[in-house]
Amino acid sequence: MTDVLNVRGVTKSYGGHPALKGVELKVKPGSCFGLLGPNGAGKSTLMKLLTGIIDADQGVIELFGLNIRKELPAIHRLIGYVPQDITLYEKLSGRQNLTFFGQMHGIRGSELKKRIAHVLEAVGLTERAGDEIASYSGGMKRRINIAAALLHQPKLVIMDEPTVGIDPQSRNHIFEMIRKLQREGVTILYSTHYMEEVEALCDEVAIIDHGQIVSQGGLRELLELHAVKAVYAEAAGVSEPPVVEGVVRATQEGSGWVLECDHPLKVMSELSAQWADDGVIVKALELMQPTLDSVFLKLTGTTLRD
Amino acid sequence: MISTIIRKEILLTLKDKGAFFWLFALPVLFIVIFSSIFSGAGSMTYKIPYYDADGSTASGQFVEQLGEIKGFALEAYEGGSLEDGIKEIRDGSRSYLLVVPAGYGQLAAAGQTAEIELYRDTVADEAVAPVMALLESVSAGYQDYKLRSILAGMGQNEEAINSIMEPAISIKEVKENATKANAVTQIVPGYTVMFVFFIMINMIQNLLKDRRSGMLSRLQGTPMKPIHYLVGMWVPNVLVVLVQSTVLLTFGQLVYGLQLGHPLAIAVIVLALALCATGIGLMLALLVSSENMGIAMVQIIAMGGAIVGGLWFPYDFLPKAVQTIGLFTPQYWAQKGMQDVMIRGADIGGIGWTLLILFAFGLAGLGVALLRFKKFALKTT
Repeated sequence: MTDVLNVRGVTKSYGGHPALKGVELKVKPGSCFGLLGPNGAGKSTLMKLLTGIIDADQGVIELFGLNIRKELPAIHRLIGYVPQDITLYEKLSGRQNLTFFGQMHGIRGSELKKRIAHVLEAVGLTERAGDEIASYSGGMKRRINIAAALLHQPKLVIMDEPTVGIDPQSRNHIFEMIRKLQREGVTILYSTHYMEEVEALCDEVAIIDHGQIVSQGGLRELLELHAVKAVYAEAAGVSEPPVVEGVVRATQEGSGWVLECDHPLKVMSELSAQWADDGVIVKALELMQPTLDSVFLKLTGTTLRD
Repeated sequence: MISTIIRKEILLTLKDKGAFFWLFALPVLFIVIFSSIFSGAGSMTYKIPYYDADGSTASGQFVEQLGEIKGFALEAYEGGSLEDGIKEIRDGSRSYLLVVPAGYGQLAAAGQTAEIELYRDTVADEAVAPVMALLESVSAGYQDYKLRSILAGMGQNEEAINSIMEPAISIKEVKENATKANAVTQIVPGYTVMFVFFIMINMIQNLLKDRRSGMLSRLQGTPMKPIHYLVGMWVPNVLVVLVQSTVLLTFGQLVYGLQLGHPLAIAVIVLALALCATGIGLMLALLVSSENMGIAMVQIIAMGGAIVGGLWFPYDFLPKAVQTIGLFTPQYWAQKGMQDVMIRGADIGGIGWTLLILFAFGLAGLGVALLRFKKFALKTT
């Protein structure tokens, strides 16, 4: 099956400053693909390249097998773009904004009315559709911002940090919408710098830092490959880090210790025996769940800057 | 696609109450104020202060005769004595004072030359010039009367006297314009043309706001092409200017009796003016680096063009160098075209140059905007 998105060797510079350096990316149909990276990593630049707003200096971008340089109009019919900014006309109502964006995609008449009603219901704003956008809350604006990208029923929805600055309720609403879209077969490309959003939504992830994709794969695969393996150990009266063979680093966390290692089960077994011999009362000795945080830390050497 | 953007822009414009003030209320206010000030200029009376030190019947007749001349009114000095009046001139609080000296009546009755004194501030040449011209004219009239009396005394009949006294040259006034040019035919089209160019501020604000908010980027993610966007953002402003010009000219016609002349010719000038101002506005919006810079540029173009293009003062009143500069402004051509139709009765055939130049400005603006679009849009990143 053709990849929805295939990016090969893409570079982009602004005034001599490289924003993207040889980006390679593949997105499978029907997936929710997370693009994770800190602010300034190159996510928005990549998103603008994928929507044809800007051109790459080098490399090839194909969407649905179509080359973006040659077949942009056809690509525009297949993709929906949700920009990072809320791009709505504040003085127009929600419905007027949706009518405008629908018509910009060539939808007219009763079909447009039907689709507007559908997306308004999907984002839970049917009752507020006649009100000016200026009267909406931040979360409601975000939801209409997404709805505007769905009117032409795209096969791929590109979302650039769509939940910035909103309340948890609206965030959950948006997550539900994305899951529903995915169930309907729509491919989602979701850019964010929130780890928990990627973990909650995405089945595939690419980590981008300093304009480069540092890793890409399934979420489980990435966690398996790159997450730091660790054991959490806590015992009464133990104030020094436990010395166990195979532990590469011990960091205090609360009243216990995080022991990073390659073979956590072996470390747990040895430490359990050691503490039993010493007559120490064990409070906690458990495997730590791998997280994207630790994957990111391992791959980039830094934590995600919020 | 273009019609969608046009409809959206019209909706937004209708919701922008501030724009209505700048585009309609303010120009109407300007027209009312300046028409009220200047429309009475034609019947303005030049007041001449005088002091009659003689107080005779002859001096009274002289003063009365001066006061009867159209455009002048004699006003008795009531500030005190003659010395007080002269002191006021020395102080600079008065420019001049016409004095009929004591003994005027006796000299006049004796048929001798009676002197009239004009006390004046040396530096007040401009204020005194019309009074001097008036006095010389009256003096010539007295001389004429004296000569006629002498000729009659010599036994010449009326016909012979008229033949002798007939001037070597005579002035015949021929009015060629279809309509009387007055303050209204200067002010109404002048302020209409001037305020039309302020539409450029709206255009700059709207286009830069679209870019700043990310709207332009988003629209670029739709099947929209640059020409769709530019034309869509352009046409609503053309419509606004058409409505604005129609309102202002109709106001001038209904309130001040402005004669518009050939309606089709005026309509075509208004259309050309709308395309011109909005074309330049579109170009500016895509060239300026910030809204403040754009507004400053509009002030220079709108106000500067208004001055040198003859919108504030009749073009013929301007210095030669300014007149030459004015020829390069669209305001001059728009005003000229309108006045050609309103005053000189021109039809479309008579305003060809005006139309050609205004359309050329508009098309050049659109062309530059198209060439500049990609660079403009890239600034979103």
